[in-house]
Amino acid sequence: MTKVLIVAGERPQQKSVLVEALRRFRAQGASVGIVGDVDADALALEPGLAEVRTLAAEPADPRLRRALARITQPSRALWVRAWADPWTRRWVRTADVLVALDSTAVHAVWEMAQRQPRADACNGIGAAGRIVRARHEGTHRVARRASERLSARAGIVVRGARRAAVTGARESLEAAMAPAVLRSRVGGRLWRSAVAAPGLPERVRVALAYRVHLRSVQADAPRLAAATTAAATGRIGGRKSRADLLTREASAELDLGRVPVCLTEAVTAELALADEFLPRQQARAAKSLYKAMRLLFHRVPHFDQLSSPLAERPAEFLAPLRASATARAMATPRGRATPAAAPPADRPLRLLIMTNGNAHFLREIKERYAEAPGVELRYLHLADDPVAAPLTHNPAGIVEHLVAGRSEYGNRVEEWLRPHLDWADTLFVDWCVAAAGMTTLVDPGDTRVVMRLHSFEAFSFWPHLIDFSRVDDLVFVSDHLRDLTCEVVPALTGEQAPRLHVIPNAMDLRRYDRPKEPSARFTLGLIGTSAVAKDPRWAIEVLRRLRADDERYRLVLVGGGLDPKASESVRQYQAELTADLAELEPSGAVTRIGHTDDVPGVLSGIGVILSSSVRESFHCALVEGAASGAVPVARDWPFFAGREASARTLFPADWVVGTPAEAAERIRAATATEDVWRAEGAAAAGHATKTWDWSVVRHDFDELFLPGRQA
Amino acid sequence: MQSRLSPLAALTRAGRRRPRRGARPHVIYLAIGFPPAAKSSAYRMRETANQFAAAGWDVTVITIADESWEREYGLDHTLSEGVDPRIVIERLPLARTDLETDIRAFSEARSLHPQRWIEQQRRQELRIFPEPVFGGWRPELERAVLRVHQEHAADLLMTTCAPYVNLAATWRLWQEYRVPYVVDFRDGWSVDVIGGGAAFTKDSAAGRWEEKVLAEARAVWCVNEPIADFYRERYPALRDRVRVVRNGYDEDCVPATPHRPDPEAGLTFGYLGSINFAPALLDSVLTAWRMARREDPLLARSRFEVRGHIGAGALREANAHMELLRAAAGDGVEFGGPLAKAEVAAAYGRWDALVLMLVGGRFVTSGKVYEYAASGLPVVSAHEVDHDAATVLAGHPLWTGAVGLDPRRLADSFTAAARLAVEATDEQRAAAQAHARRFARGAQLAPAVAEATAMVTGAATGPGSDGTSSEGGQA
Repeated sequence: MTKVLIVAGERPQQKSVLVEALRRFRAQGASVGIVGDVDADALALEPGLAEVRTLAAEPADPRLRRALARITQPSRALWVRAWADPWTRRWVRTADVLVALDSTAVHAVWEMAQRQPRADACNGIGAAGRIVRARHEGTHRVARRASERLSARAGIVVRGARRAAVTGARESLEAAMAPAVLRSRVGGRLWRSAVAAPGLPERVRVALAYRVHLRSVQADAPRLAAATTAAATGRIGGRKSRADLLTREASAELDLGRVPVCLTEAVTAELALADEFLPRQQARAAKSLYKAMRLLFHRVPHFDQLSSPLAERPAEFLAPLRASATARAMATPRGRATPAAAPPADRPLRLLIMTNGNAHFLREIKERYAEAPGVELRYLHLADDPVAAPLTHNPAGIVEHLVAGRSEYGNRVEEWLRPHLDWADTLFVDWCVAAAGMTTLVDPGDTRVVMRLHSFEAFSFWPHLIDFSRVDDLVFVSDHLRDLTCEVVPALTGEQAPRLHVIPNAMDLRRYDRPKEPSARFTLGLIGTSAVAKDPRWAIEVLRRLRADDERYRLVLVGGGLDPKASESVRQYQAELTADLAELEPSGAVTRIGHTDDVPGVLSGIGVILSSSVRESFHCALVEGAASGAVPVARDWPFFAGREASARTLFPADWVVGTPAEAAERIRAATATEDVWRAEGAAAAGHATKTWDWSVVRHDFDELFLPGRQA
Repeated sequence: MQSRLSPLAALTRAGRRRPRRGARPHVIYLAIGFPPAAKSSAYRMRETANQFAAAGWDVTVITIADESWEREYGLDHTLSEGVDPRIVIERLPLARTDLETDIRAFSEARSLHPQRWIEQQRRQELRIFPEPVFGGWRPELERAVLRVHQEHAADLLMTTCAPYVNLAATWRLWQEYRVPYVVDFRDGWSVDVIGGGAAFTKDSAAGRWEEKVLAEARAVWCVNEPIADFYRERYPALRDRVRVVRNGYDEDCVPATPHRPDPEAGLTFGYLGSINFAPALLDSVLTAWRMARREDPLLARSRFEVRGHIGAGALREANAHMELLRAAAGDGVEFGGPLAKAEVAAAYGRWDALVLMLVGGRFVTSGKVYEYAASGLPVVSAHEVDHDAATVLAGHPLWTGAVGLDPRRLADSFTAAARLAVEATDEQRAAAQAHARRFARGAQLAPAVAEATAMVTGAATGPGSDGTSSEGGQA
């Protein structure tokens, strides 16, 4: 019997091909083991086809973990992990054929082959198939001499010694990059010159520049990091090497929770590479474009800090994208073959509501049109659709399709979406994220396409992945979000742009009208604290100022907390917030209430509702608080402050403040007496209900979906 | 890039007579991919060599060792059966190292970073000759043509590209012995047949090589008019020497009897050819096939048989295309591996309609389009609308037309082809075959070979001048 050991360094890309090969092996009497980074459950092989051994990503043995930490090459790490595994060693000892399933696995098979001289060692399942067949048919020949076995054994010893020497040299190099050395003028100059030394092989220059750059960032020497990179890239001729270095540096800095020193340079280099590929290898160009966009719109600069370069200087920040031919190819409007048809006159409108995001903002809309006689409603959350759900996780697929004009991904979307488009008269996609991007890959026929953009999308790459020439109407929830998005996405102001609307969020505000206890007067509330953008520390600062004069004021934080695993910068914010809370919670000055479904109940104990965020599109929680009779105090959201439209134009002027001091001042005045507080609260509740209650806003939606008709 | 010998030495050598064997002129044919290599270009090479032999030439083919093709698409010995036995074949010990699958042959560095190792190889190859993968073959090829010429003086060097490194050996023989040469450029070099326009500039290393070698060529053959026009424009001095020699089809690939479909049992659509286009193209066709099957009961009970070579080296029959085909097995799609040349006619005979999947646009014609046209079967076109294959198929009565690669439109083409397969009359099938007759390979090559012969020997030694036919050689 032929024993075949297959080594996989990554998830098998061609699963059907692998299964087919395993079936052939079985038919030819071979027994098969598969080892590596494979998930036996995901592979779901039929019984008897192969034994699957998944290597632990984090081995239990501390010595092995330390050894792995020193290895930078994934292929080498795979070998070390595999050889430490007793199951694998047993299989290697008796294997007749060793197979590398992918390029990461080649080295492990190469090492195994040195230790098992009898076995064939081949690259690829196809080559393995030919060997297994030849063995089965008795036509296989092996011609390896004893001297080869000897030299293989000697080679193992020699390589071990060489590797130890290289490790020692690398550790010495690391010592010369200690923070103190890098912060010193001499050290900085030394490394800057070293990476720019003439005649240095490109691979060595790139590796050295990367290390110096990163160590400089960690040593809080960003200028040295930038100077080192500039010096090195000035000597690197290849666009790919340059882009790889800059992208790798930027990614490592993002992992550290920092906005990369050379973010613009990295994005520009990656886009230059994309443009080089564009004429002949569009899929490859798309890959580079997507890489650049992931850097440009990474959560660290836009979501996990209290400012965003996109909000501060959009034109400058997006300039590399605007200059890229590949990005322009992606943004080329494809239009639709036929215009959207008018709503049918002889039957109810078929309305399909679709989202792959938070469905919270759809509740009132769904309820209204589910019961409206003039509408036949279908609702689809893509997470519940087994075909569509995996498609929502592939923005790279959207980019490739837009750049190349065709793709396997686009074909899958077409197959899935077409029946829905054939049914619907109007398709409403909530959130301008994956579902929206997928929708515009397909010509919608005569179906009218309506989309809604809330807030965070404007700071992400998603709106750039939507072909707005295939969208008829785009709804924003506020003027300031519309203005910023139009500034960021040129397709929204072009000839083929959709009609733009501003319709507030659908909220049933009457359910918040409940009596408040007198004690609520000194209770500030902040509802929603799960993002850095909510900036709860601003609210704490307001509280500190109030309590400096009057210790009756307290703050209630409602909602789930931050997720420090999201990024290093979130972790840093969380650490500072935790220190604040450690100081204020024991005295009862701050109370945290986790997630609750009874927001009206919680609001009955809150007398002042805060919006401390750096950015919001609308801030429903503030409006709901106002509707409950709490005094609203909204920070002039810094992302939009000073623009034509902002928190100051969305809300009555007296609701909005610029600083914690102004906030404290307004709160003191509005809570000076119980009567004043109740009167302020009642006025705010009246304004909120008259302006934003669903009974008012629903007419805007009726007009949007059924212009000139009754729902 | 010049000969290492001085110009004077070259002239001296050029004047020196090499040994001759009899009165027949001798052509060295640099044809990497000559049978039994299972490559689509092998058909054209076989016919070219056979026609030279039939026209009274001694022919020495220089190619690479048979076992080297095992790393690529393998061997088809039925192709060799049609090679004129008078043709001498020199097989050089050259092989593509990038396609090596025996890991024991790898260095440790290659095992650690397979892709980086290949990139380094490419850079080294480019230093030898500006063609990745094959550039490193230059010294061996140069030595081979010189040796063959020294043993049996050549009157003509016929060189066919790709690989373009053949141009270096061609130039070396010209430099040292002034042996005239014809370049069968097929798809050209500096023309980007996929994207259109120029693939490289005239002042690049490749550009300088191309300009220099073509300038001295007696003739330059291209497979279609757009490519020929590209070269006429790029090198106006070559205008009169550039000619179109279309690939054409081999008559033995055409089924002998008219086809009879069995709609009750379902139809069989076929594809035959190398699967070397982007996976997205194959996916568009398979998506269209699924959509068409959902809508048309006849197609729902039909099959789609795909035959040909997929991938090379470690990815041979284990790449993204293969995954798509295996995953489509439940939709009546079947991959049956490559077909030997001798089995081609039988395959066309049992299929009801054909699917023509092609890359590129107006600069690409392909070889299979001629066979498809001559088969007398309905043809679904899966390629760009502006494609040279459309020029060949224009007027073909059983062609569903070029609709691009949108799956929705391709699905309609499948439906239309199914209808044609069931409804076509014998007359329509005969008319389809008659439409293609002008593209018979022998007829395409004969004038070009005769012209080359006349250019060199000054005699009008046309095909069959020694009383033998080129069709199938002497086999």
